[in-house]
Amino acid sequence: MSATVNRVEPEALPQSFLRALLHPWTWRMAWRDTRSQRSRLALYALSIAIGICALTAIYSLKSTVQEAINLQGKSLLGADLRISSRRPIPDGLLGDLAGRVRAGSRETSFSSMIGPPSGDRTKLVQVRALEGGYPFGNTVECEPQGSWERLRNTSGIVVEPSLLEEFGTSVGQTLKVGTLELPILGVVSNGVPRSNRFSGFAPEVFIRLADLPATGLAGEQSLAYHHLAVDWEASTEPERASLSSKAREALAGKSVQVQTPEDRKESIGEGLDRSKEFLGISALAALLLGGIGVAGAIHTHIQKRLPSVAVLLCLGCPSHFAFAIYFIQAAAMGLLGAVLGALAGGLAHSLVVHLAAGSLPIAVNLIPSPGILLLTAAAGFAICCAFALMPLLGIQNVSPAATLFQRPAPNPRANVLRSAVCALLAAMVWGVTLLNGAGPLRAAAITGFMVVAFACLAATAAGLIRLTRALVRPTWPYLPRQGISNLFRPHNQTLLVTLSLGLGVFLLLSTWFIRGQVLNQLKLDTSLHTPNVYLIDVQPDQADTIKSMLGRLGLPTIEDTPMVTMRIETVKGMRLSPLEAKQPAPDAQPDTQRQEVPRWVMEREYRSTYRDHLNSTETIVAGEWPPQKVDPNEAIPISVEQKLAKDLRVEIGDEIVMDVQGVPMRTRVACLRKVDWSRFNLNFFMVFPPGVLETAPQFHLMTTRVPDAASSGQLQRTLFKEIPNVSAVDLTSLLQTISKLLKKASNVIELLSAFTLFAGVPILIAAVLGGREQRVRESVLLRTLGASEQQVRTILLIEYTTLGALSATAGGGLSWIAHLAAAKWIFKAPAQFEPLPLLFAFVGCCLLSMIAGILIGRGVCSRPPLEVLRQTAS
Amino acid sequence: MVETIPANPDRPVLEVRGLTKTYQDGENTLTVLDHVDLQVMPAETCAIIGPSGSGKTTLLGLCAGLDDATSGTVCLDGQSLENLTQNARAALRGKSIGFVFQNFQLIPTLTALENVLIPLELQGQTLGRSTAQALLERVGLGKRLTHYPHQLSGGEQQRVALARAFVRPPKILFADEPTGNLDSETSAILVDILFELNRENGTALILVTHDPSLAARADRIVRMQSGRILPEHRGPQASPARP
Repeated sequence: MSATVNRVEPEALPQSFLRALLHPWTWRMAWRDTRSQRSRLALYALSIAIGICALTAIYSLKSTVQEAINLQGKSLLGADLRISSRRPIPDGLLGDLAGRVRAGSRETSFSSMIGPPSGDRTKLVQVRALEGGYPFGNTVECEPQGSWERLRNTSGIVVEPSLLEEFGTSVGQTLKVGTLELPILGVVSNGVPRSNRFSGFAPEVFIRLADLPATGLAGEQSLAYHHLAVDWEASTEPERASLSSKAREALAGKSVQVQTPEDRKESIGEGLDRSKEFLGISALAALLLGGIGVAGAIHTHIQKRLPSVAVLLCLGCPSHFAFAIYFIQAAAMGLLGAVLGALAGGLAHSLVVHLAAGSLPIAVNLIPSPGILLLTAAAGFAICCAFALMPLLGIQNVSPAATLFQRPAPNPRANVLRSAVCALLAAMVWGVTLLNGAGPLRAAAITGFMVVAFACLAATAAGLIRLTRALVRPTWPYLPRQGISNLFRPHNQTLLVTLSLGLGVFLLLSTWFIRGQVLNQLKLDTSLHTPNVYLIDVQPDQADTIKSMLGRLGLPTIEDTPMVTMRIETVKGMRLSPLEAKQPAPDAQPDTQRQEVPRWVMEREYRSTYRDHLNSTETIVAGEWPPQKVDPNEAIPISVEQKLAKDLRVEIGDEIVMDVQGVPMRTRVACLRKVDWSRFNLNFFMVFPPGVLETAPQFHLMTTRVPDAASSGQLQRTLFKEIPNVSAVDLTSLLQTISKLLKKASNVIELLSAFTLFAGVPILIAAVLGGREQRVRESVLLRTLGASEQQVRTILLIEYTTLGALSATAGGGLSWIAHLAAAKWIFKAPAQFEPLPLLFAFVGCCLLSMIAGILIGRGVCSRPPLEVLRQTAS
Repeated sequence: MVETIPANPDRPVLEVRGLTKTYQDGENTLTVLDHVDLQVMPAETCAIIGPSGSGKTTLLGLCAGLDDATSGTVCLDGQSLENLTQNARAALRGKSIGFVFQNFQLIPTLTALENVLIPLELQGQTLGRSTAQALLERVGLGKRLTHYPHQLSGGEQQRVALARAFVRPPKILFADEPTGNLDSETSAILVDILFELNRENGTALILVTHDPSLAARADRIVRMQSGRILPEHRGPQASPARP
């Protein structure tokens, strides 16, 4: 060789990270660099897989269960869409959407007196004449079995159980509907949604639509309602919702009322919506737990590779190439973890569905959707790459001078890059929260809270490092001094463990607390103060008689409320009568939004009451409760339910003129109320102050609670005998349906909470063990210098127990704040103090951390020091 | 494309002026290098000696562009380092500089041959396998090509490092106590190979060492104390080796 050498002109190395990522040498180097690390990398991939498994399983269960809950919502309506009108519904009403209808079912319903053919007893009922497969998606519970299906092809009548009791008749005998005598085919106990919320406060009977003309009751002049129940040709809830939304748009302006399962779910309150939010939060918690697993695994891997990075930089490797090498490795681990995790998550889904089949809602598929598996695997891979960026930034901080010195070289770009990665992660969390059903603002609030939690935990770790540095004294006994000093010395694990354990505790406890809140909302109030029978058409002078009758039967009088029927005449001076063209009153202000007021809101008959107090189901959201004394010369101050106010586009101070059975009455909106419609107490859209409606024609509505069907029947018979004009409506069947639905949703919540916990703990153990290399090396040196096994273990136990206790305290405190915030802003209910989960989390976290310390010590103490030294060196 | 790169015997391959390096530790400033000037000509060998903490390794790191100086300039192969980005410095190192470290600094996951090939691969050269193999044979490791670093002794690892440094003949080689982790017999063999390769390739050598006998083999010896260079005196050879 000589000083003048022949050289092959090299190709210039790509200058951009993206091109470095695609360069063959980067891939070759990434592969070669895994040698002797592959089993360890496989373990890291496994750790990633656990996180993605949790994400996949929870997301898959969430999607399936959400679908099932929506189906349950559908069971409350018995259809995807229900169109109602006072006029017969013409064919072709749905236009182009008719092609998407899998099945339709027509119904005509009206109130009528029916009774046995002898004519000695009659009863006002809601007659529902049906045609087609209604209700869709429900199993109708009918005795004898199959009688509901028989009604489709056979003339007959199916009734509610209380009617048989009341008429003293049985299946096989006949009842007279109008002029037609029909045999009683069966008794329906559950599964048929009521025609409207209280079905006109009357028991329901079912006949064939084909038999209706023969009854002579369905003439053009009768006050019948016509319905069309639609079952869409769609396999997913979003598709069904989209079709219903299109139909709603297409039918706007036509004289029909459109209902979807969403409208019906109002009767179950906010419980189901909260369930969905909880499922979203579970998925988010799983995602972040998975992220902790990923970041922990990549951090451990990168820490071991930093010396090689320094050598590469020294040999002329550009830093973006070094970054690309390890990014490829992280992505490969992420891909492997994502595939394994998605498969394991799919299996976990099937296992959970199989084990909990009895307590899950209907139609939960044992096989997870391939689309969901693919989606979560892809999301898991993306999350893996994003969460790997933070530990990969360590490569950017490596200086080639590390080959000569141990001193770290400051990297002025480090903070900028770290901030950029933090912003990317925050954006990702926001996006996932958004995808899980939260609105943009709530998603931003949740993300903001996560960022604050992260910052608080980092600050806690920094505080601990400062505190222990200030506290430790040379006079302390050696073991506690060494154990505590490990918390602030170079290469300490304080930040890493506090962040991973603290975030883990925060996420798991928050999930647990929110679970409690959701379960509380899913509880149906079945206390003795909640009515299940309504007594309607009670004349004012009959109220006392009924009260004493109820007392005689051992039943409570829960409520006794006067009701006055009325209609809206004008709103803010706008005359809005269904029979007239919409024309402004002479003194009206222009109102460009009047067309957006739903027609049914203007046309319906309102049953209003008067009282001087709020009920337990009501909360004032704006204005003040109407004063007790009303000025006869002023508009009457009334309280309006907030959703009605929104539909009517009225605010505090706006005027509404009511037509109280022919008498116009000028009112002013004095207060807006939120009403909990899920409670079966007597709730009203409009409440008047006392001293206004007392002289108007009115009737009373009373409520009671019966313990069983026999008591209900006895009440019906006594009423029929003593006060025949009063009807009793038994809501037990409706309450049972809702109760079952809520119970199922509760089971799902319990199941997913347990699953999140189950998946979270191993991730946290892996994260804590991630920093073990440093401690193993130091412990082996101590062993070499003569430390006993007991001494090494005690030092590790002191360090890790302190870290566990601190992380649990910080994570627990943060989760409690999150719990208070969620209770105030999401659930709008008082937060219940739950010391047990906090205590359990504290003890559990300390134990987990101690186990990690013991595991590390075990590896050190069970083998000769030289063997361990050689291993850690390689 | 084949290019002939001539060595310019009249221009220093390394020129250091007023090089200072300080570290801030709270309120205290620690000066590790204090206005150091140094020139190294092509193919010249220069040993830097001095007690521990005198700034030898820091000077070597700054000269090689591994770290940033607090003040002063380093001109390496005609390029002023302070004007270069980190990636540009890496490119310069890949093109003109070789390293031998006290603790070998081989990549543990690569075989001996692959470790030697790295500088070529980083330059996009795919035909260097035979060169690398020949160099390993030259340093006596022809039968250890596929061994990993942990399967080699310290002396063997350092010979791999030497082969790696010369696989793309550098204009200047920085050696940080290359025999510091080796016994005397192994050291002697290694030093012979080092100077031989250095001479054959016309490479300038900056050698940091505690070993006076090793330093004595250099053209000149630079003594350092407390971050400063003491008055220089020449080694046994009157002038730098010429190709």
